[in-house]
Amino acid sequence: MAWTFRFLEEIALADIGFEAEGESVEEVFRCATQALLESMANPATVSGGWERAIERSDVDPSALLFDWLSEVVYWKDAAGVVFREAPLTLTREGDAWLLRARLIGAPVDQQIQELHADVKAVTKHLYELKRTGGCWKVRVVLDV
Amino acid sequence: MHLNTDMTVNRITDEIWEIPLFEKPGMLVPARIYATEGILQAMDSGVFDQVTNVACLPGIRRYALCMPDGHWGYGFPIGGVAAFDVQDGVISPGGVGYDINCGMRLIRTDLTLADVQPHLERLMTELFRRVPAGVGANGFVRLSGEEFGRVMTHGARWCVERGYGWHRDLVRMEEGGCIEGADPSIVTDHAIQRGINQLGTLGSGNHYLEVQVVSNERIFDPVTAAALGITGHEQIAVTVHCGSRGFGHQLASDYLKVFEKAMRRYGITVKDQQLACAPFRSPEGQDYFSAMNCAANTAFANRQVITHQIREAFATVFGQSAEALGMELVYDVAHNIAKVERYAEGELVVHRKGATRAFGPGSPELPETFRQTGQPVICGGSMETGSYLLVGTDQAVRDTFGSTMHGAGRTMSRAQAKRTFRGEQLQQQMKQRGILVKAVSMSGLAEEAGLAYKNISEVVESVDRAGITKKVAELRPIGNIKG
Repeated sequence: MAWTFRFLEEIALADIGFEAEGESVEEVFRCATQALLESMANPATVSGGWERAIERSDVDPSALLFDWLSEVVYWKDAAGVVFREAPLTLTREGDAWLLRARLIGAPVDQQIQELHADVKAVTKHLYELKRTGGCWKVRVVLDV
Repeated sequence: MHLNTDMTVNRITDEIWEIPLFEKPGMLVPARIYATEGILQAMDSGVFDQVTNVACLPGIRRYALCMPDGHWGYGFPIGGVAAFDVQDGVISPGGVGYDINCGMRLIRTDLTLADVQPHLERLMTELFRRVPAGVGANGFVRLSGEEFGRVMTHGARWCVERGYGWHRDLVRMEEGGCIEGADPSIVTDHAIQRGINQLGTLGSGNHYLEVQVVSNERIFDPVTAAALGITGHEQIAVTVHCGSRGFGHQLASDYLKVFEKAMRRYGITVKDQQLACAPFRSPEGQDYFSAMNCAANTAFANRQVITHQIREAFATVFGQSAEALGMELVYDVAHNIAKVERYAEGELVVHRKGATRAFGPGSPELPETFRQTGQPVICGGSMETGSYLLVGTDQAVRDTFGSTMHGAGRTMSRAQAKRTFRGEQLQQQMKQRGILVKAVSMSGLAEEAGLAYKNISEVVESVDRAGITKKVAELRPIGNIKG
């Protein structure tokens, strides 16, 4: 699957900034999640074995995406894992957006996984989810 | 002079620059930047924007400050210092940073380069094995929830009680390695779960453990250096840079959310979401302060456990006890923290984000050990250039709320550094220059290339000339561990 995101060079000198986009809110959730997973490790080098089902809802998709990305960072430390993939769906339930996701990964193993940055937090610095020209975009800065 | 801002920036001295009140609506105090003209010209636009945003926060006193290693951060610039009145001022997690009590620690030894060089490969392998680094790394200390609570309240004292250090280490730490007023009952479960297994781990990014050498010609103040245990003659020392790990990161994230809501309740508006704050005396402000102190103590404990492992590694490799090797702590100092301190204006909550406390010899807060020298300040440069040992001054207490720089400061983004350098190649080049690097992540190593940072010597020179810290010695790397 092709992911639409790019890491930003012009912002967040000491950290990691990326911009993800998609034709739908769900698509931008997927691309932003993939950018986050790749910031921590090369997903292709991570096997499965560890899995969490996560369900969250919010009327504000921007807040929902922020909380979801923050939860991924939380599990990295709480379970000591890095991630292979995070299949997700996003649906409308009345006024709210409902996220159903599976976080799939494996315990950190420096011998077999290509590890990247130990992300501390998803920040609100320049954080913005918006629709422009029929396309959804989000800009995220990770503290590393 | 070309600057990366349209704001008016007035020269006060060759090392102090001021942005006046009228430059941004809402500024309550002027902003001051400590830098040489060259460093000021190279500063990114974010510094000017963010330091003036800080100048708008309620209850700020005198100036919003930025040190010469300043660069774009979240809310506060990195290198930012601001003091708020405890009665009508605020406390902001954005003024502390996600890595609460990220700090520096310096350990001296009686060993020389000639002693260590033949065993360097083995020593670095032993250190790399004993001090876990990188994504998701867990430490060897296993804690129950109750015991982790004691780490939060007792900090490095807990470590000494458990045999992970010497009692005399404690006097050589900011606040004796234990800040009062930490209340584990207001810490979130998420933060506990993130941090409970990470005691004794380095993390990644710019965190490191470095074996360094001090040459006679790089000692600038021999009397002070000797008083701090730095004697030169190719002496070996070890520097550690890390903080409160996932525990502190999660607390910062959790309280930013709390403060976003609290601001609406207290009618506070800020120029940047990352400056979310609450009145210091409010329940939210007091809860954050207490939780932040839990994380600060955990960071002291983290660096203490790492010190224990460093001593064990040296003892294993050199076949002598750490005490026989003279592995005394020189100092441990925080550079991401908020503390209540007394100045001419009264009691203030001093926020230091990427800035170090720098109390001079006259400071009554310092233990007897440092009454002649002033408080040691440890500033880390890039992994290719090493670190500096400095001491605080009474002028810093008068001019900058007892604060100074913390490191070199980046000039190149991580993405650009990764495009420009290759980790494996850098590792090889550094080996040829006599610096042995062990790294968990090669891409992470590329991001930390020396050319991605300012020249630390120029940054140090500017605070020395400004009189807010005096340089004592430079420490050159020969071995580095990175996450």
